[in-house]
Amino acid sequence: MSASLDKGISALKQQVDASVAAFFSSCVHCGICAEACLFYTETGEPERTPINKTEPLRRIWKSEYTLVGRLGKMLGLTKKVDHKLLEEWETLVYDSCTMCGRCSMVCPVGNDITLMIRKTREGMAAAGHAPAGMIGASKRSVEIGSPMGVRLPALRAQIKHVEADTGLKVPLDVVGAEYMLLLSSMEIMNFPEFIEAIAKIFEKAGASWTIATEAFEATNSGIQIGVSDIAAELVQRIVDAAEKLKVTTVISPECGHAYTAIRWDGPNLVGKKFSFKVRHILEVLDEMRQQGRLKTSGMESGKLTYHDPCQISRRGGVIDEPRRLIDMISDNFVEMPDHGKMNWCCGAGGGVSANERADELRLKVFQRKKDQFDAIRPDAIVSACSNCRIHLEDGLEEYNMDIPLLSLTETIAEHLAD
Amino acid sequence: MSQISNDVEFKQALEGLSPIKQRTLAAAFVAHVLPLSHDERLNRVVSIAAVEHAMEDELLNALRSARAATFDSHARCGSEGHWNEQAGYFVARAAVAAVTPPAQSRSGGAAWQAAMSSRMARTSMLIDDGEGEPTAPAENEWQYQTLSDYLNANG
Repeated sequence: MSASLDKGISALKQQVDASVAAFFSSCVHCGICAEACLFYTETGEPERTPINKTEPLRRIWKSEYTLVGRLGKMLGLTKKVDHKLLEEWETLVYDSCTMCGRCSMVCPVGNDITLMIRKTREGMAAAGHAPAGMIGASKRSVEIGSPMGVRLPALRAQIKHVEADTGLKVPLDVVGAEYMLLLSSMEIMNFPEFIEAIAKIFEKAGASWTIATEAFEATNSGIQIGVSDIAAELVQRIVDAAEKLKVTTVISPECGHAYTAIRWDGPNLVGKKFSFKVRHILEVLDEMRQQGRLKTSGMESGKLTYHDPCQISRRGGVIDEPRRLIDMISDNFVEMPDHGKMNWCCGAGGGVSANERADELRLKVFQRKKDQFDAIRPDAIVSACSNCRIHLEDGLEEYNMDIPLLSLTETIAEHLAD
Repeated sequence: MSQISNDVEFKQALEGLSPIKQRTLAAAFVAHVLPLSHDERLNRVVSIAAVEHAMEDELLNALRSARAATFDSHARCGSEGHWNEQAGYFVARAAVAAVTPPAQSRSGGAAWQAAMSSRMARTSMLIDDGEGEPTAPAENEWQYQTLSDYLNANG
């Protein structure tokens, strides 16, 4: 991935389409997006206002695609996009944005500011102004197939443990299976019990499923860093495996952006309609519940709340499913203020967690989540994204809050009826 | 004399033990893989878990320490994973399982969960970055023998 300023500017130019032009033209500079962004609300620093993060893209739009901007450029009056600007904006675009989409929800003229930041990242990455951690993750995704460098033997080793633990077979490369499960490297390395939960639930539901050895990774680093070519290549690997195994449905696991990457961005990235369905694991479980294939027994003893992962709830639309599933295992469920599509981000999505430089900032802005938890004082927090889970645990530890974090899928598996 | 020789017998035997006995056995399982972790907090956790009459507040503090050790050792999303370091994470998780109150334990109970995480810790050390399958470790055999000895001594 060789980078240069010329490539960066060229990439930014390519990102200016009709929607971007309309967005910049219609921005009324009201600043409402600032109050929707935890990086602004928790720091009070105006440069972290979401729309300001798109400044490199805005300058290109103005100087190349507006009459006033072109005249200004001819007269040497426009503000340039150069290395100095991109260097300055790198921490705003990558460290101070989780692509959570909350700013897009409040924009009074309907600008998808998150999309504009995503497009700004395309230029930043092409110019070489992306965080080292995200560049490394992208390289490993392309070369190894996993942003964390997880190879097939490691997955097989974890599967052996899962099989010993459950006495169930974890099926690999089964042609004609109903479901093909994707996994994030986080689940393989940190939470192998997620695979265990799937094995138990699907066994009880009588569902056929498989993991593709040629494409087991759900995470799409190309989306996070903002390199569409990489994003498309990673989606294509999944498409190839799903078509080869002739599966009906590909399941995105408990990973936030993996879901939007494969389900909502995926077909556009590879330029064709999928021959299979894509569903988040919570959608699949809720469907099984509706069909009477998922039955549970017993209730959690304490007060539960649900942290909506941004990419699954706000950007993905999976909001009611987790609540219906939680109803099966809890009669003491409490919503946080600003839940569902307006939930506050954990602060670590969009590649922020892979960016060590952003550690101090992401823990600082966790104050917003702390306030949400303080308002309802839950006994346990349920969620459905491994990255949220890890970061929420980090944040709770940082703020001396002793609240357990539960995976919804794993908790459902713990309650399976005999 | 009973000799445990597979996971079905192993799990069944563990589930038949009282929560306190499960905890002390879990401590033994964690202690066996403790050298794979560099987190000194876990030594103290294992020491407390091994005491039959450990006080409730001691166990609670041990749980907090063990949890903190897991937070400090997990792989970061998107960062290059190092399985040698990941072994420490699974040791910490085994320690968490050992001192988790019985009512909050995951299925199988404290000793079973500690045993499984201990095995994952051992396996993590054997997963290299190449294409080869990691060699199956003998941790389970050691756990079978430990439980068999325990049952024979306390039967």
